[in-house]
Amino acid sequence: MSFRLLPAVAVLAVFAAALAALFRWSLLEFVPGSLQPGGLTLANFRAVLAPQYVGAIRDTVVLSALTTVLTLVCAYPVAYALARTASRRVRSLILVLTLAPFFTGAIVRTYAWVLVLGNTVVTWPVPMLFTERGVLVGLVHFSMPTMILILAAALSHIDPVYERAAASLGASPAHVFRRVTLPLSMPGIVSGGLIVFAWTLSAFPTPELLGGGKVKMIANVVKDLGLDSFNWPGAAAFALLALALTLALLTLVGRLSSDRAA
Amino acid sequence: MTTAVVELRGCTRDYGAVRAVDALDLAVHEGEFLALLGPSGCGKTTTLNLVAGFVEPTAGRVLIDGEDVTGRPPHLRGLGVVFQSYALFPHLSVRENVAFGLRERRMAAAEIERRVGDALELVRLEPAGRQRPSELSGGMQQRVALARALVYRPRVLLLDEPLAALDKKLREGMRDELRTIHRSVGITTIFVTHDQAEALGLADRIAVMNRGRIEQLGPPREIYERPATRFVADFIGASTVLRGRAVAADRVVVAGGTLHVGGRALRAGADVELAIRPERLRLVAAAGDNVLDARVEGLVYQGAQTEVTARLGDGQRVLVFVGEPAPVPLAVGQTLRLFLPGEAFMVLDDR
Repeated sequence: MSFRLLPAVAVLAVFAAALAALFRWSLLEFVPGSLQPGGLTLANFRAVLAPQYVGAIRDTVVLSALTTVLTLVCAYPVAYALARTASRRVRSLILVLTLAPFFTGAIVRTYAWVLVLGNTVVTWPVPMLFTERGVLVGLVHFSMPTMILILAAALSHIDPVYERAAASLGASPAHVFRRVTLPLSMPGIVSGGLIVFAWTLSAFPTPELLGGGKVKMIANVVKDLGLDSFNWPGAAAFALLALALTLALLTLVGRLSSDRAA
Repeated sequence: MTTAVVELRGCTRDYGAVRAVDALDLAVHEGEFLALLGPSGCGKTTTLNLVAGFVEPTAGRVLIDGEDVTGRPPHLRGLGVVFQSYALFPHLSVRENVAFGLRERRMAAAEIERRVGDALELVRLEPAGRQRPSELSGGMQQRVALARALVYRPRVLLLDEPLAALDKKLREGMRDELRTIHRSVGITTIFVTHDQAEALGLADRIAVMNRGRIEQLGPPREIYERPATRFVADFIGASTVLRGRAVAADRVVVAGGTLHVGGRALRAGADVELAIRPERLRLVAAAGDNVLDARVEGLVYQGAQTEVTARLGDGQRVLVFVGEPAPVPLAVGQTLRLFLPGEAFMVLDDR
């Protein structure tokens, strides 16, 4: 091995050590009322397969899938405008509007959503705050800028001559989009979708604050186990389970979409 | 004369402060192969885009079959377009590309299948149907683009520099193929090119464009042999332009010598410009009518001929093609006696 890779190895060793610690903790016995774990056991994994934990995993996957789809739908038109406008000013305006809220930081932004969703600014016909709907809104908003930038990059790589060609062949603007622009932007849809799906699976502050303890995603359950119940072995086991599941899902989705794109 | 298939009436197109097309009038007739020829930036592609509907005129009307289509979007104009880059859809197979326009016309599947087969046969690409465009050579992609634009029998075929992306050998083959296809289909075709050989070899009529206007419109032979303006004489083929003063209706004094000029009557005393093709000049031994002396400045040997650049007594430059083997040994600095046949002169419009 080359010495030039040594710094990378040193950094990666830290990550590996953290994962190893997580793995070790997950195999230690939880002693209620004590921070000191007991001996080796598989009981933690059995415990986190209980219905309330499996339910949280299911809710997380469903919320992440919905977030991905809604973000795609909302981000696409903005990305299209960003990629196709000839005006520098319009481009700057779009970027400022979509990116600016993110310079305020996750906590401030999420508390802003608490105000908006909590009927203080807007009166909602259905309850929003501390429901999955509200969490979904927060998650979509959080994912929008990334999705917009990824889709805009993909769209700007599509030569507008394809759209002209389709129009010359008799395709209306709607058909041009469905038969040419949309299929040609698939690589962006796939990579944007995968990234948003993956990071929503591990979302924490949005469900924590907008869910108000009623909406539990994987990261919230890990925090409950570890910091509220002081069940560190249980938290480690659940985190590992979720990690394995996330990797499996991403592999599956990635493989399916690359088959479609090919 | 029958109604024009495509007609532009006073079409102007501005891009900001730049006038790409300037009050252009043009009529293209049934079955005609018309070339829009000119240097880059002359407005030829904008003119094509006005017909296709990709850009709208700032002023003026576009008519197809006598019907005003100004403002009508491209997908409702029923034209076929072949783009310079071909613009074949990369996510569709060759067959799907060709079928695209037929699908938009909601044709029955069996009819689509048959027509796509016919179109691919016309361009000799039957076996490539299942392939992706990226798997084909440039020449094959070009033929797919042509099949895709012809398959639904459009009223007019528009070609935007269709041969520019091909290498020289392929370009010549494709040129013959284009002519053959045009003959067998008989479709009215407008063809944009900056290559005069392409325009001369393919077109029924050529519109030579410059600065958003048509300088001259006519059959290739007329454009080549009787260029109306200095620009056309310069742009089409090589030529030498000589300035002189008319001394009679058919006589011009150039560099101290008198030239008898055929063709149109000149106004005595007027400054005139005469153009002459370098292949029309001949080397002669004796002085006489229409003979001028010139000093050789440059020689470019090209095998079948030598390009000679020479200067007349008053400093005007002349280009002569001397067929090889040359009648006399050629050398820089020597004086050549040139015969300029009167009937070979083209009198240019004063502009």
